Amino acid sequence: MDSIPTPSLPTIIEPATPPPTPDYDVQLESLSQWQIAWRRFRRHRMALIGSTLFFSMVLIGIIGPLIFQFDWYKIPTPDVHVNAGRPPSLAHPMGETGRLQWDVLTLVVNGIRFSLLIGVIASGMGAIIGTIVGGVAGYFGGWTDTILMRIVDALLALPLLFVILVFTKFLGSGSWISVTVIFGLFGWLGIARLVRAVILSLREGEYVDAARAAGVSDRRIIFRHLIPNALSPIIVATTLGVAGVIIGEAFVSFLGFGVGQETPTLGNILAGSLGFISQGNWWWAFFPGFAIVIIVLGINFMGDGLRDALDPRAKI
Amino acid sequence: MTETAAVHDRRAGVGEVLLDVRDLKTYFHVMDGTVKAVDGVSFTLRKGGRLALVGESGCGKSVTALSIMRLIETPPGEFAGGEILFDGQDVLKLDDRAIRKVRGGEIAMIFQEPMTSLNPVMSVGDQIIEAVLLHQKVDKKGAHDIAVAALQDVGVADPKRRVKQYPHELSGGMRQRIMIAMALSCNPKLIIADEPTTALDVTIQRQILELIKTIQERTGAALLLITHDLGVVAETVDEVAVMYAGRVVETGTVEEVLLHPRMPYTRGLLESIPSQAKRGQRLSAIKGTVPNPFRMPSGCKFAPRCPYAWDICSESEPDLIQLGSERTARCWLNDPRYHDRLEAYEASRPGGHG
Repeated sequence: MDSIPTPSLPTIIEPATPPPTPDYDVQLESLSQWQIAWRRFRRHRMALIGSTLFFSMVLIGIIGPLIFQFDWYKIPTPDVHVNAGRPPSLAHPMGETGRLQWDVLTLVVNGIRFSLLIGVIASGMGAIIGTIVGGVAGYFGGWTDTILMRIVDALLALPLLFVILVFTKFLGSGSWISVTVIFGLFGWLGIARLVRAVILSLREGEYVDAARAAGVSDRRIIFRHLIPNALSPIIVATTLGVAGVIIGEAFVSFLGFGVGQETPTLGNILAGSLGFISQGNWWWAFFPGFAIVIIVLGINFMGDGLRDALDPRAKI
Repeated sequence: MTETAAVHDRRAGVGEVLLDVRDLKTYFHVMDGTVKAVDGVSFTLRKGGRLALVGESGCGKSVTALSIMRLIETPPGEFAGGEILFDGQDVLKLDDRAIRKVRGGEIAMIFQEPMTSLNPVMSVGDQIIEAVLLHQKVDKKGAHDIAVAALQDVGVADPKRRVKQYPHELSGGMRQRIMIAMALSCNPKLIIADEPTTALDVTIQRQILELIKTIQERTGAALLLITHDLGVVAETVDEVAVMYAGRVVETGTVEEVLLHPRMPYTRGLLESIPSQAKRGQRLSAIKGTVPNPFRMPSGCKFAPRCPYAWDICSESEPDLIQLGSERTARCWLNDPRYHDRLEAYEASRPGGHG
C-alpha cells in the first residue's frame, strides 16, 4: 500500500555534525554578544587559518628568542676572508648573513618578536587614542566634533610617511620603543574617524536616552554604553592596523630611518640584506620577508573573520 | 519597613503640587527656521496624582516630557521661557550634577520602544544595577539584590536568571517590564511614561498598563503618562491635558474631558477611536493635518481643521478659559459671549459619547 508521502522539510545545512543540542537547551544559557561572535569565529575557516598563522608567529616570537638569543655585542666570529653570507646548512638552517655572519634564524625569530611587539603596541595605542577622540567627537558633536575632526583632517593631509621618517630620524635615535610610540601617535586618525561615525549613529539610539534619563553621566555613557557597542569595528580595524604598522615599520627601517640594527626587526634585517642579494644571498632576504608575509596574511584573514563574526547581520 | 514608611509619608502628602510646569517654551532652531515644539505649556501634577498628556504625533507632548527631564539637546533645542518646578525647584536652572541626581533618582522615565531602550551589550541586571548605584548608597551586592527584587516586583519570573540575560533574549513585553523595574528601582517621586504601550501587542498592553498603575499606587509616585491613545487614558489616569500644536488646549478630569469635551479637537480625537458601536460605519477622522510648524495659523491653531470655527477663530487665539476649578479649555466656544454657539455645539454631539 502506498504510504502517504511525507512532505520533506528543507534540511538545514548541517548534516555532517552530530545532532545538535536542542534549541531550548541552548536558550537556557545566556550568550553575550561576545560569546555569539566567538562561536561564529570558530566556524569561519579563513579566520581559523589566519589566527593559526598569526598565533604560531606569536608563539615563535615568544619562544624563539629564548632559544636563539640575540646579543648585539656578541658578534659571532666571522670568517675574515669571506664577506658574503653562507647558505642554509644543518647548523644554520636559514643560513648566515654576510659581513658579520649572524645566524639568520636567530635574527628572524628576534625580528618577529620585535616586529610583532611594535605592531601590537603601536596599533593598540592608536586604537585607544582614536577611540577616545572619536568617541568624544561623535557623542558631543557641535564644536567639539568640528575641532577634533579638523585636527584629524589636517594630520591626514600631511604626507604621513615623510613625517614619520623625520620623526624617527630625529626623535627615534633608533630605539624600537620610540618608533612604536611614533607609529602609535600617528596611527589613531583612521580609528578616530571610524569611531566617530559609529558613535554618531549609536548616540541616537533610545538606550542612550534611557541611560541619560537614569542619570548616567556623559563620560559613562560614552565609555560604558556607546564604545562597547562600537567595539566590533574597532577590533577589526585594530587587528588590521597591526599588519599596517608591521609593514610600515619594515618600510621605515628598510630605508634606514627606523629601528637600529641592535634591535632586529623584520624590516632592518631586510635592510641589511640589501647589498648582498646581488651576491646570491637569497636566504638573508627570503626568510624575514617570508615571516612578514605570513604575519600580515594571518592578520588579514583573521580580520576578515572577525568582521564576519562580529557583524550581527551576517549569517554564517 | 522604611520604604513603607516613606510611601506612607508620601501618601500623606497627596494633594500637594509635585510638578508645576509654567508657560514652558521649548524651541528647536533648525535649518529652515525655528520650530516652536512646545509653546507656552502649563499644567500641574499633584503628589501621587496621575495625569495624561494626550495629542497627535508632533503636538509636543514628548518634547514636554523630555524637557521635564531636561533631555533636550541644546542646541539645536532651546528652553525659550517658562519654568518647570519639580518639588519646588526649577529643573531648568539646575546644574549638570544636580540634574543627574533628579534623572532616575527623583523622576524616572519609561520609553516607548522597549526593543531599543535597553543597551544590547549589557545584561539587563547590569543596567538596573547601574541606575541603582547612581542613586542609592548601596554596594554592588546590595544593588544586585535591589535589581532582583525590582524584577520580582514587576512580575518577571525567575529574576535571578533574568538579571544575567541580554535584551535580545527577551520579548518586548518582558523588556518593558525591565524598563519599569529600572524606573521603580530608585523610588522616584514621578514616573514619566512616554507611550509605554504603543510598541506592544494589544494583549500585553493591558498587562503593562495595569503594572504601571499598580506600581504607581503602591509606591505613591506620581504618574505622567504621554499617549495618543484615549482608551489608555480612560483606564489609567485621573486627569488629562490635551495638547495641540505645542499648546495645552483642554484640561480636566478624565470623566469631564472624555465625556464632555469643550474643545472641538478633543471631540475629534474621541470620534476617531474605532469602536464596536460604530461597526460598519466609516471611521471618522479629523480632517486636514497638523499645521506646518513654520506656518502656524495666526488665530486658533486648530481653526483650519475645526468644523465649528467662525471668523474670530482665525483672527485671534483664545486663552485657556477657566471652566471650573480644575477645568480649562482653549476655545472661543467657552467664552460667555458665544453661549449660543456652545449650545449648538453641545446639541450637535454625536451619539455614543453621552
